[in-house]
Amino acid sequence: MNDETVQRMPQPDPRAPRGRVLDAHLHLLDRQVLDRDGTPVTTVDDVELDGIELGARIEPGSPAPTVAAILTGPQLPMRIFGGHAPARRRVAIPWKLVASVGTTVRLGVGADSLDASWVERWVSGHIIGRIPGGRHDPE
Amino acid sequence: MILSDLLGSDALEADGRRVGAVVDVRLEISGAPAQLLAATEVTGVLVSPRSRFSTWGYERRGETAPVLIARLQRWLHRGMFLVGWDDVELVDEGRVVFRGGYERRDPMLPPSPRT
Amino acid sequence: MKKLFAVALGILTAIGGFVDIGDLVTNAVVGSRFGLGLAWVVLVGVVGICVYAQMSGRVAAVSGRATFEIIRERLGPRAGLANLAASFLINLLTVTAEIGGVALALQLATSVDPLLWVPVAAFGVWIVIWRARFELLENVTGLLGLTLIVFAVALFMLSPDWGRLAGQALQPGPPADEPVATYWFYAVALFGAAMTPYEVFFFSSGAIEEKWTEKDLAKSRLNVLVGFPLGGILSIAIAGCAAVVLLPASIDVTSLSQVVLPVAEAGGKVALSFAIVGILAATFGAALETTLSSGYTLAQYFGWSWGKFRKPAKAARFHLAMIIVVLIAVAILATGVDPILVTEYSVVFSAVALPLTYLPILIIANDREYMGDKVNGRGMNLVGTIYLVIILVAATAAIPLLIVTGAGA
Repeated sequence: MNDETVQRMPQPDPRAPRGRVLDAHLHLLDRQVLDRDGTPVTTVDDVELDGIELGARIEPGSPAPTVAAILTGPQLPMRIFGGHAPARRRVAIPWKLVASVGTTVRLGVGADSLDASWVERWVSGHIIGRIPGGRHDPE
Repeated sequence: MILSDLLGSDALEADGRRVGAVVDVRLEISGAPAQLLAATEVTGVLVSPRSRFSTWGYERRGETAPVLIARLQRWLHRGMFLVGWDDVELVDEGRVVFRGGYERRDPMLPPSPRT
Repeated sequence: MKKLFAVALGILTAIGGFVDIGDLVTNAVVGSRFGLGLAWVVLVGVVGICVYAQMSGRVAAVSGRATFEIIRERLGPRAGLANLAASFLINLLTVTAEIGGVALALQLATSVDPLLWVPVAAFGVWIVIWRARFELLENVTGLLGLTLIVFAVALFMLSPDWGRLAGQALQPGPPADEPVATYWFYAVALFGAAMTPYEVFFFSSGAIEEKWTEKDLAKSRLNVLVGFPLGGILSIAIAGCAAVVLLPASIDVTSLSQVVLPVAEAGGKVALSFAIVGILAATFGAALETTLSSGYTLAQYFGWSWGKFRKPAKAARFHLAMIIVVLIAVAILATGVDPILVTEYSVVFSAVALPLTYLPILIIANDREYMGDKVNGRGMNLVGTIYLVIILVAATAAIPLLIVTGAGA
């Protein structure tokens, strides 16, 4: 498919990837997010990109946009049915908390420290934790 | 900007001609070292001339099995190409415009390690 | 004994798939109307579920991802939601039927009204899911469910005309007094029952509950090769008993007591008590399997923490979902609806949900990012693709046949 390859002088290809290459929809969207201990936190419902200004002409040589955060929460119905949640209502996991990306996205922190897990903590504390045996290991 | 807004946008050349839809965004984990993982940058967009929907990756990776499904998928998404981010001039609602003389590159992904 | 426990997951999955309350009755109905003329469908179904359970078990062991997570990752949120809605509805209806089935089995044993047993059964199902370790759950119900072998024993004791039975089995096709559409309706129903999605959801999630890894691939294969064929044999034995006793006497199967009639005739009270224990264990096991399945599918679609290996407080939404499912099931049963009728419909709907469930498994089983070098071989892919076509045919034919035949009336 390299139908427009230009003949170059032998020099290191500036476009060779310097790190892991992945595609956002193929490798990130709808993947499981696990915390530091391997406990599931949520799914990657959407991704927030920093550094793209709508309608503004991009100057050659300007820095590339970066991945800012994983979005979850009200994002899922938006992806299914369309539309936008206002920025305040989005639940975001900052990308800098991500430790590795494989077939799952692994965070470097525990789930309890995240906004994204507040529903689980609420159900755990208010409902499940109150039923006898809820806090014990199964036997 | 949210990823799902970018996906499905029309991909336009500098003169306004539509060449397809943006079906994926290529990323590279190679930016400035950050806390746990190096910063992840956008290095390009993948354009499919024939469909707005993302694919199962058969045309970007070396997977060839199961045969019937791989062939069908490759045929459905034939002609997909990658455009480097430095060839992107403008991003607006529902459309992405490329610079004049942009290059259509091979969409193949380098083989990734299994983690 | 330890070896037997090693395949408990496969046996329990198969029990829920082949001899739960819906299957018990359907197999008896089929036997009483078609003899063994539909046995070939059970064979086709057994091979199919073996192929796909094998793949999903391998995917779970090697990549750590359970089947519904794969479905969401490959089909995306919209198609995944459609599958979730269909699967959840089927699970809910089946849980309702199984809890009703446990109550019916208890009625058979004690002659106490089943409606009184429903809350007991529901509580029993819930408390086991809440507190018992996964291994304990599968070992006990799997082992007790094996007593259903009494149906096979009874078949022998009835000294049937083996030639005639073989004749029915080897001459697939509707008998003279049954319409063709009804024959194919039951064929699709039996196929859907053999390959019900909750079997692979349960098997792959169970593989993760048992913490299988790449080293356990042989164990996974053994579970599949022992469990499902055993389930198929029990299925055919029940149909066979009905073919021998009920068909000639034109006895219609409308309740559980007709299902066990052949066993009572063959072996008297002793055999009957084995059968009742077996039916109780099988329906209870199926209730556990389908309730857990509804928890697994919801949690895996939404990305919640799940698993019986975690404290309930650490998998809160998973357990809450299952509590709600059991409560809804009790509510449905309290309206007095016949749980068995409910499953006859849900089996047909599960045939419709099959393609969306099995296609992602086939795809991921070939994906090196998930599987490393443990991807499907060519043979597996060939069989898998053939079955995908069969599944598509069954799924498209299911609803039209349901309407045309009035659910096999």
